[in-house]
Amino acid sequence: MEWVRNFLRYRAANTFLVFIGLVVFFSLLTPNYLFVDRRNLAALGKLFPDLGVVALGVGVLMICGEFDLSVSSVLPFCSYVFVRLLYRGIVPFWAFWVALGVGALLGLLNGLITVKTKMPSFITTLGTMMFWRGVLYIWSKMMPAGIRNLVPSGSPFERAFAGTVGSFIPVQALWFTLFALILGILLHYHRFGNWIYATGDNRDAARAMGINTDLVKTICFMIVGILCGFSACMQAVRIGSFAATQGIGFELRAIAACVVGGTSLRGGVGSMPGIVLGALTIPILDNGLILLRVPVFGISAFIGIATILFVVLNSYVERKTR
Amino acid sequence: MRRNLFMVLLVSVVLVGTLAFAQEKKPAEGMYFRLVTHGGDDPFWAVVQKGAMDAAKELGCKVDIDLCGGDLTLQLKRFEEAVAMKPNGIALVINDDTAWDEPVRRALEQGIPVIGMNNDDSEGAVGNPRLCYIGQSEKAAAYRLARRLFDEAKARGIDLSKAHVAMAAEVPGANYAKIRASGILEAMKEYGITSYEIIDAGGLEMTTVEARETAYLLAHPETTFLIGLGGICTDRLTASLKAAGKQPGEIIAGGFDTTPDTLAGIKEGYVTATIDQQQYLQGYFAVYVLYLYNKYGFTPNIDTGGYLVDSPEKIALIEKLSPEHIR
Repeated sequence: MEWVRNFLRYRAANTFLVFIGLVVFFSLLTPNYLFVDRRNLAALGKLFPDLGVVALGVGVLMICGEFDLSVSSVLPFCSYVFVRLLYRGIVPFWAFWVALGVGALLGLLNGLITVKTKMPSFITTLGTMMFWRGVLYIWSKMMPAGIRNLVPSGSPFERAFAGTVGSFIPVQALWFTLFALILGILLHYHRFGNWIYATGDNRDAARAMGINTDLVKTICFMIVGILCGFSACMQAVRIGSFAATQGIGFELRAIAACVVGGTSLRGGVGSMPGIVLGALTIPILDNGLILLRVPVFGISAFIGIATILFVVLNSYVERKTR
Repeated sequence: MRRNLFMVLLVSVVLVGTLAFAQEKKPAEGMYFRLVTHGGDDPFWAVVQKGAMDAAKELGCKVDIDLCGGDLTLQLKRFEEAVAMKPNGIALVINDDTAWDEPVRRALEQGIPVIGMNNDDSEGAVGNPRLCYIGQSEKAAAYRLARRLFDEAKARGIDLSKAHVAMAAEVPGANYAKIRASGILEAMKEYGITSYEIIDAGGLEMTTVEARETAYLLAHPETTFLIGLGGICTDRLTASLKAAGKQPGEIIAGGFDTTPDTLAGIKEGYVTATIDQQQYLQGYFAVYVLYLYNKYGFTPNIDTGGYLVDSPEKIALIEKLSPEHIR
């Protein structure tokens, strides 16, 4: 049973087992096997990447030993930039790249403030979260701005961000997979990934090894910013407008997804498969419970308990297999 | 030459001075009003603010608005600060049935007029000593919306005794959701509908709302009516109905506010009707009523809401005024 022991030693293994358990449970027990109904899978695949894409970046940053609470403001800010540019007659393709650039810039700012002032990123990004949301409210006056006529349904840009592949697979799920693969390779098969783990695990030791930890952290903040910009455009195209409430609550939900996936709050520990599973597990739990006709009134309580149980399980199994 | 220039300057100064004096003094000049609200994250309050500022401009008074983002403690603090400033009047969102009783009574005792706006004590003047209330009668608006949806079903020959009403709320425990739901329940009684459920849509974030509404529709094929109790839940109705594989009109849907996707949903036939609260009037009338109270002691209750949007003509009007932050 050595292979079982080895498998369980892998931090994301617990999440994987629970994830499989949930999928089997919901597949068999939901009325008329609704969980695996084509419509439900399509809806899940279309909706979870909004948060999922952001969570991928947040997870990498957490492994690096930092947090980014500003995602919930950077995302709607990028969305508003994207929509304003469309209103000014800029074609969606270029507006998208500018939104990504703005995301990167805001990430860079988070990174620079954190590494230069040596402030905990929890505080830095709490500040920028409030600052950018305030700026956004003043700028947008909180008014929704429709873009259906600027990015019409069926246009190439709309199909690239909100369409389906083969009339079933939501393109959002493919984007999520692509980003997970890129970041997974970066994290596990590239030198930069080693630097991220080293920086998050022991910053002083990493420095002694010659790693520019400030640069590593700043780049990780920028990755989060870029992913926020991407998710912002993807969501704006899907919902057909900018909404000031976009991204609300993402800051903690992204962290929760990463924690469920076995990412440590103290840095240096975590994996891309774990983050992916974490990003999938919470939406699946939410979805499956509603399909089971559990009273929707108060379903958040189930999600809260599940998140705590995941962390307890992760810690328990880790202690047992050590 | 220098003499001529001096004469021209002198005449200009006299003319400008005369014009300035000739200009009529605005009626509320020197007055200061404050709007203490729980508003924040949504476009709704930008329109209220626009209404208040337009009225202030017309009357020549100064107006400030507090947006407390749903934080009752902060709102209470802002109210106390506003009272300490001794303004000529305060318009307050009374979003709690007990928390505002004492602060309002104390402010009135200090001679500061306080009126309710946007949200009132559920018992009205009996529950809170505020001078009057300006805003949508939430219950009446919800009742009106529900009747419109139920009539639509009746016209299509749907047996209402077997109908199921699902109501999605961003914050199920909030006053707006409770009062609107009570208006819908009242209409349900009249039409003989007994089956209903209030859905916790999971907050203000649109993707979560859409995911929960979609899953609910899949799990509850018995749903006849889907009603968004707030603007975000209503905005996501069309997307959720499409994701659940419903055809336009297969489920009779409606709700509140006039966001872009809600209006698109009405055009496409997925949404039957929505309520426009006409919130511009809440800000506008709040300032006017406070001014009129200071001048003549008037305390009118004004119902600003309940404008039912259920046709392309009405949508056209809203789409025209929306960029100006009036609708």
